[in-house]
Amino acid sequence: MVVAVAFIIFYALALSLAEATRFHSATLRIQAGYLLPLGGWLVGIALIQRTLHRNLPNRDIWIFPIVALLIGLGLLTIWSLSADLGFKQVIWFLIGSLIFVLAAGTRDLTLTLKRYKYVWLLLGLLLIVLTFVIGVNPGNQGPKLWLNIFGFYMQPSEPLKLLMIVYLAAFFADQIRPNIPLFDSILPTVIITGLAGLLLIGQKDIGTASLFVVIYVLMLTVTTRRRRFLWIFPLLVIVASLVGYLTIPVVRTRLEIWLNPWLQSSGASYQLVQAKIAVAAGGLFGTGPGLGSPQVVPVAVSDFIFTAIAEEMGLFGTAAVMLLILLLTMRGILIAQAAKTSFGRYLAYGISAYFAAQSFFIIGGNLGLVPVTGITLPFLSYGGSSLVTNLLCTLLLLKISTEPAYQMPPETIRRPYQWMAGAFMLMFVGLFLVNSIYAFVDQAKLLNRPENPRWAVFDRFTPRGSILSQNGKPLAITTGEIGSYKREITYPPLSNTLGYANPLYGQSGLELSLYPYLRGLASKSFQTVFLQKLFFNQPPVGSDVRLNLNIPMQQRADTLLDGHKGAAVLMNADTGEIYALATAPYFDANTLNEDWEQLMNNADAPLFNRATQGSYPVGTLDNTLYLSAYWNNPATEVETAPSGKRLDRYCAKGIQALGSSIDTLQYGCESTSLLLADEVSPDLLHSTIAAYGLFQPPDVSLDVATTINEADAKQAILETQSSLASLKVSPLQAAMVAATITAEGSKPLPRLVNSYQDEFGNWVAFKPDIQPVNVLTQKSALKIQEQLAGKSSSIWYQIGHGKTDEGEVITWYLGGTTQEWHGSPLAVAVVLEADDPQAAAVIGTRLLSQAN
Amino acid sequence: MSANIGFAFRVAMFVCLYLFLFLALRTIWKSVTQKDSRISNIPVPTLQISSLEMAEGTESAFTSAEVLIGRDHECDFVINHPAISSRHGRFSFHQNQWWYEDLKSTNGSFLEDLRIEEPIVIKDGDNIYCGDIQLKIKITPNS
Repeated sequence: MVVAVAFIIFYALALSLAEATRFHSATLRIQAGYLLPLGGWLVGIALIQRTLHRNLPNRDIWIFPIVALLIGLGLLTIWSLSADLGFKQVIWFLIGSLIFVLAAGTRDLTLTLKRYKYVWLLLGLLLIVLTFVIGVNPGNQGPKLWLNIFGFYMQPSEPLKLLMIVYLAAFFADQIRPNIPLFDSILPTVIITGLAGLLLIGQKDIGTASLFVVIYVLMLTVTTRRRRFLWIFPLLVIVASLVGYLTIPVVRTRLEIWLNPWLQSSGASYQLVQAKIAVAAGGLFGTGPGLGSPQVVPVAVSDFIFTAIAEEMGLFGTAAVMLLILLLTMRGILIAQAAKTSFGRYLAYGISAYFAAQSFFIIGGNLGLVPVTGITLPFLSYGGSSLVTNLLCTLLLLKISTEPAYQMPPETIRRPYQWMAGAFMLMFVGLFLVNSIYAFVDQAKLLNRPENPRWAVFDRFTPRGSILSQNGKPLAITTGEIGSYKREITYPPLSNTLGYANPLYGQSGLELSLYPYLRGLASKSFQTVFLQKLFFNQPPVGSDVRLNLNIPMQQRADTLLDGHKGAAVLMNADTGEIYALATAPYFDANTLNEDWEQLMNNADAPLFNRATQGSYPVGTLDNTLYLSAYWNNPATEVETAPSGKRLDRYCAKGIQALGSSIDTLQYGCESTSLLLADEVSPDLLHSTIAAYGLFQPPDVSLDVATTINEADAKQAILETQSSLASLKVSPLQAAMVAATITAEGSKPLPRLVNSYQDEFGNWVAFKPDIQPVNVLTQKSALKIQEQLAGKSSSIWYQIGHGKTDEGEVITWYLGGTTQEWHGSPLAVAVVLEADDPQAAAVIGTRLLSQAN
Repeated sequence: MSANIGFAFRVAMFVCLYLFLFLALRTIWKSVTQKDSRISNIPVPTLQISSLEMAEGTESAFTSAEVLIGRDHECDFVINHPAISSRHGRFSFHQNQWWYEDLKSTNGSFLEDLRIEEPIVIKDGDNIYCGDIQLKIKITPNS
């Protein structure tokens, strides 16, 4: 008992320091509020302990300490989740203690219970019937299962459980006799249990109704000593779930979310998914009392209190709780075995079975092992009627334990009890195994799920690192004070790329992909991360990350794209550093909360990052691809391209007088490529496109458009012989083609992020893990540049146009610098969702020519 | 500061929790492996079983709490007769009474004319029939 009291006191103290810990408070600050539930608990258990000492000196000495420990744990946990409900629960506990003390003084309590068994049962059933007439729900919605007694809400199904057990125990003790056919002797109990079950189903309290049936079968099995009754369970489960699935919508959803929790993770199964993540967040030792975020799980206070304990005390905490409940059950079964009368024996067993079964169902429900039933976890959950009932159950157990038989009953009588004890142990071992899978084996997988909102809490208490431009200009910063840190983007047009970290809408863009660095988890030493987590349950202060984006260039791209729908990518052709990544229209991550509705319904899709996620048909941009394949062919060895007389009338750009069709390649004419197609084998064409990387999504720490399967693409090329026009690429991929040609055949790797700052302030570069690939020979690359050279010889370019699946015309501009260019070589890709070659050319040319 | 103290409380909390569990488990382990001390050993009244049909007129007196009867040599009271099952029935003393139960024997056990299907209380002077064999029961209290 002393150890239990010490545990609760330490728990209360740890809780009272949690707030100060979260805020990294320099001084010792204690939340005195926690002294109230602690005091209430101490008063209650002192009262009960004194009564037990006086009235029941020969009682089982372990029952009450276990119960007291569980209640204390429950009271404080409820208080930490909601002080308001915690206060009510303390009052309930004190009321329960008084009732306990009064009832403990009553002599012949068990005898009175037995004698008037029908009176009690009718009373309990009557209360249930009353809820049909004057029932209320404290939450104002959902099933009306409560009675309002002077402002206190009482749930009659809770005491009914105890009354039912009393009735069954009394009945079985009297009626199970030899030489009376078994069916006749149990018929009345079948009818009564069925009636109570139907009443509860009528009140939509399916969880309690099924618990009744379970307790009934468990009692029947042991009292009649016929193990075969357990076969009722599988039968019943199949029949009940089939009938329930077809007729009761609640049962249907519960079964569906139980089987497939991840399908509706923000809808019907939100609670279950969050419960699993909470268990994972607890890990082995928990986040520490008061330091976790168990409030994320809806109704964590009552039905899901197990997940709150799991998060803050970890697997070691929940294992202890499960073990305590199991111990209580085992003590109860020992008491039952040793009881003097069969009524006492059945009653003690019934109560133990009730504790075990109810705990198993709700913990199993929390963990997704069985479908969720809306019942309480005995002694721990919020709920006054449940707490008082469970206290009375405890009292009955203690009463029975004071009247043991003179002799241990023979083996035959004890065997069913031992058998059931073993079964309960197995059930709890199952719970423990599932619990450890979530808390240990699958922990990382669960925590990394997008449904886990804990990062938002971390962001409020420790600042994320800033995202900087190439020159060190902050683009995304953390503002505000500890406890209310906020994220702000200083250059809103980059919102699509930088992304958002919004508590309501989640994370996206670089905020999501750079999370391990911005949050410091990958950039700081293991020791720092570990200690920060251990003491504060917070990640370390985040690290700054530097991008390759160049703000003047980015600004120019945004200005040029203004008023259009499309995207532009400007990159260094040698290094692959991305200088500008513009998409239009864009959104402003700073005003996401206000704009969300409008952004989601906007037909122009401003949340979409066209530069990386956009997937546009290549169209007549294929001219460059054919040319690459043609000149890169070892057989042709950079011959002059074939030229035909046929001039195309449908080009991306109006054609001036030109000699032959090969000269029109630059203007994206539809039939020009046909000339080259005759000269290029489909295999060669396919391998060139593959080398350009158009079949693989580029690796740039951002969401990118999915590319078509390479094998499918090959098949398509082989079949159509020539048509590449429907191949879809993103502007970023197009820019890579331009960069390859500009860099004289060697394909650089796209690099958006540059470096991060480590714990000691050093900048560490993100190293690309693959080397540049040679796509073209230098000779053929230069030849392409020459063929596509513009009026100013320092720039090459090609214009193209294509048709989307919806039949809309899009315009491409692909360009780069030539050897004449002074400065680092650049490559650019522009796409506009309009038939506007003029604008595309202006944007592309300006981006290149004004870059220096 | 708060974090360090809070952490110390957390450790203390876990230590207490597991100490409690250890103590509780130790008690329950003891009570399972040893006889429960709460059950006092009051003396068992002597059970005398005698069989007239058997040639020797076997008679035996028992003061142990459990007496197994049957054809098997392992039994406390051996009846060598084809109508008797190898483990036919069992007398046991609990709740201050002697009980008899049939161990699913082939030919059954009867208290006078009543077939014994559930454990029943037996009194001094009762006759129990196992197959064709009559067993006379005599119970004498021990002081």
